[in-house]
Amino acid sequence: MWSTARLIAAGDTVILWLTRELVQHLVVTPGKDFNSKFGHYRHSDLVGLPYGSKLGSRTGRGFIHILRPTPELWTMALPHRTQILYIADISLVVSYLDIRRGSRVIEAGTGSGSFSHSVARSIGPSGHLWSYEFHEARAKKAREEFAQHGMSDIVTLTHQNVCKDGFNLTDAADSVFLDLPAPWDAVEHAKQALRKDRPTRICCFSPCMEQVLRTVSALNDAGFSDITMYETLVRSHDVGQVPVLQSITEVADKLKKGEEVREIKRLRQIAGGQRSHQNPHGEKRKRDEDSEMNEQEDAPVGEAEDSGSGKRLKTDDDMGTWTPSRDVDVSRNLDDPSTHILRAGASIPAAPTAKISVSKATSEVRGHTSYLTFATLLPPMPPAPLEDDAPSQGPQST
Amino acid sequence: MSAPSPVIVPQFSTRTLTIQSGNTILLRLPNGEAKAVKTEKNSTVSLGRLGVFYANELIGEPFGRTYDIVDKKLKLLPPRTLAEVEDTDATNELINDGEFVQPLTLEEIQTLKQSGAHASEIIKMQIEQHANYSLKTEYSKEKYKKRKEAKYSKIFTTIDPTLFNVCEHWFRKDQTRIRDIRIDALSQILNMANIRPGGRYLAVDDASGLIVSGILERMGGDGRLLTICNTDSPPAYPVTVNMNFTNETVAVLSSLNWATAEPGHTPLVAPVDVPADQIKSDRQKTRLNKRKAALDLLNTTREELFAGEFDALIVASDYEPFSILEKLVPYLTGSASIVVQSPYAQILSDLHAKLRALPEYLGPSLTEVWLRRYQVLPGRTHPTMNTSGTGSFILHAIKVYTFFVWL
Repeated sequence: MWSTARLIAAGDTVILWLTRELVQHLVVTPGKDFNSKFGHYRHSDLVGLPYGSKLGSRTGRGFIHILRPTPELWTMALPHRTQILYIADISLVVSYLDIRRGSRVIEAGTGSGSFSHSVARSIGPSGHLWSYEFHEARAKKAREEFAQHGMSDIVTLTHQNVCKDGFNLTDAADSVFLDLPAPWDAVEHAKQALRKDRPTRICCFSPCMEQVLRTVSALNDAGFSDITMYETLVRSHDVGQVPVLQSITEVADKLKKGEEVREIKRLRQIAGGQRSHQNPHGEKRKRDEDSEMNEQEDAPVGEAEDSGSGKRLKTDDDMGTWTPSRDVDVSRNLDDPSTHILRAGASIPAAPTAKISVSKATSEVRGHTSYLTFATLLPPMPPAPLEDDAPSQGPQST
Repeated sequence: MSAPSPVIVPQFSTRTLTIQSGNTILLRLPNGEAKAVKTEKNSTVSLGRLGVFYANELIGEPFGRTYDIVDKKLKLLPPRTLAEVEDTDATNELINDGEFVQPLTLEEIQTLKQSGAHASEIIKMQIEQHANYSLKTEYSKEKYKKRKEAKYSKIFTTIDPTLFNVCEHWFRKDQTRIRDIRIDALSQILNMANIRPGGRYLAVDDASGLIVSGILERMGGDGRLLTICNTDSPPAYPVTVNMNFTNETVAVLSSLNWATAEPGHTPLVAPVDVPADQIKSDRQKTRLNKRKAALDLLNTTREELFAGEFDALIVASDYEPFSILEKLVPYLTGSASIVVQSPYAQILSDLHAKLRALPEYLGPSLTEVWLRRYQVLPGRTHPTMNTSGTGSFILHAIKVYTFFVWL
């Protein structure tokens, strides 16, 4: 398959990792250029670099990583000709179908070749993949791609409609993978292509339940057993770091301080009222005083959350100096209520000194790909002694 | 279109095609559970309630067949097919809970069993005597028969020891011993790590050898696998026993421990270069030779690790994952995959936060696996009612070189 050498050579297919969302592929062709918003590069710059290198742009702005292709990276970078299979489905199918070194596998259709690359990797040069594609242009593209990736010895690609014309194989394959609109039409052909000297397996990949039901009954009629069905997905998680969560004790303290402030204000108002009674011209002054008080009162309580999150943005160094002083503040506040108004904001945050890592599933995810219907074909029963033993004696047929 | 006719190289297999003497194989019992038994030539296999039979009857048989135990002998049965159940108008309208419906007593059933009556006969009698059987829907009748079969039948099926089946067995049996690694997680780990024949891999497997089993199977006896363990002697990796690997398959595996994997450490071993005149007996000589061979193996394995250029690192360990990566990632080649598994998202979130700050780890991602199995029966297809809640979490990153190539 792809190069296993340490260093990149001319003619190698390489993966360019621009960002996690932007992964591309390239055949290293000296003389050509690669230009993107991540910089300008000459293909010849890549030759001789070890795989896994970080390469700076010729313009001095931007960089890219050059990776060795794997079927998984190829799935991220490949040119889509059809809807493709992703790692969750591919990996489960490979396991269930018992695909490993030396396995002989059939797939139909080839599509964009996402599954083909994964199978070719797993079976290696001693295995074989027969791949069938009924769309001529897609078959041609896939054949070119397989040749480019050094898979021509492992993969035989045939342009053929397997539902109509079958696989042209008898007792040859260990497993069959059908990604077709009407897999039930290919089930009998698949049975013929599967070998009969060992348990062999089939997987039909269909997005709709109606397809599953027809496939199940076709598999049952053809003598497959252990028919089962799975659905699998990958749930990506976003990882973040948040400060250690604040205790509600601190919130309660804050509220209590608010109460005290209001009480002081109330008492002052009463006192002021008595003053204004004595001095009828003091009305304006009182309103000023009032609005001042309002600001003072609201500041610590209303902005508590903001000041808390402001603290969260502080660097670790700031936090380090913060921790010890916090306790001092709190105790002083308790002793001396007069400092509350000025200190409340500062003493709130119970400074988040430590951070915790958290993760949650990404908000928008793939909810369904396809149903994976699996079945097994067992070697036929030996004919001899069981002939006279009517199989209807088995309890399963009672 | 002419038949494709590729040149086919002889097929390699990690296990034998048929059941052999000395295998540890899994049997599916009527209640759906799997049991591991050893098929030693000329021995008997005991399946508890199901009875006993001679192992020789299974030796040489292909996997996946179903047998009935009749008088200590195995009777081969055809594979079970999906029975079409015809729907009727019956409902449970007239069936009440707690009603006395089964006049056949436990003692009578015991007597029947002792008389050697076949399970199908007992079930038939129970159905005949059942007061409300005819009122049941066809689906309900089917379920009733299934339940009785699980109780009385002596039928079992040999399970092909594929990675899928072995993983499923261990997951059901004791999922904590395999660190909650469900088959979908294992499959993704092997694909993400790009395991292939001919590759060179580093692994830390505290999951009873499930990871090692998967890697060995995908390598197919070609390449190299070094594992680092926490024990003095090479680890047992019990899951590999169920895989029934050939010697050739296992030959690619060597192990070091966390002490011998340190470049600065000189393992303390008894002297092996004893002058010839001090060797007193043949026994001593054999012992010395053995010790020397073990030391040589240890030294070459260490050299191999320290020479680096491994293609992937797979970690499923009880130890702090970042300390493992710090130690082993330097031995990976550029563009190598790093895959870390944990039953807990928190542990991998912490690791993710650390890796994100380090330029040698490209694109760290944290994913959780999700799998749903369906019951597929004609007219009765739905997701299974009970299923596993978790199959574990996976962190993947790519090792890249930190030096920056300026042009």
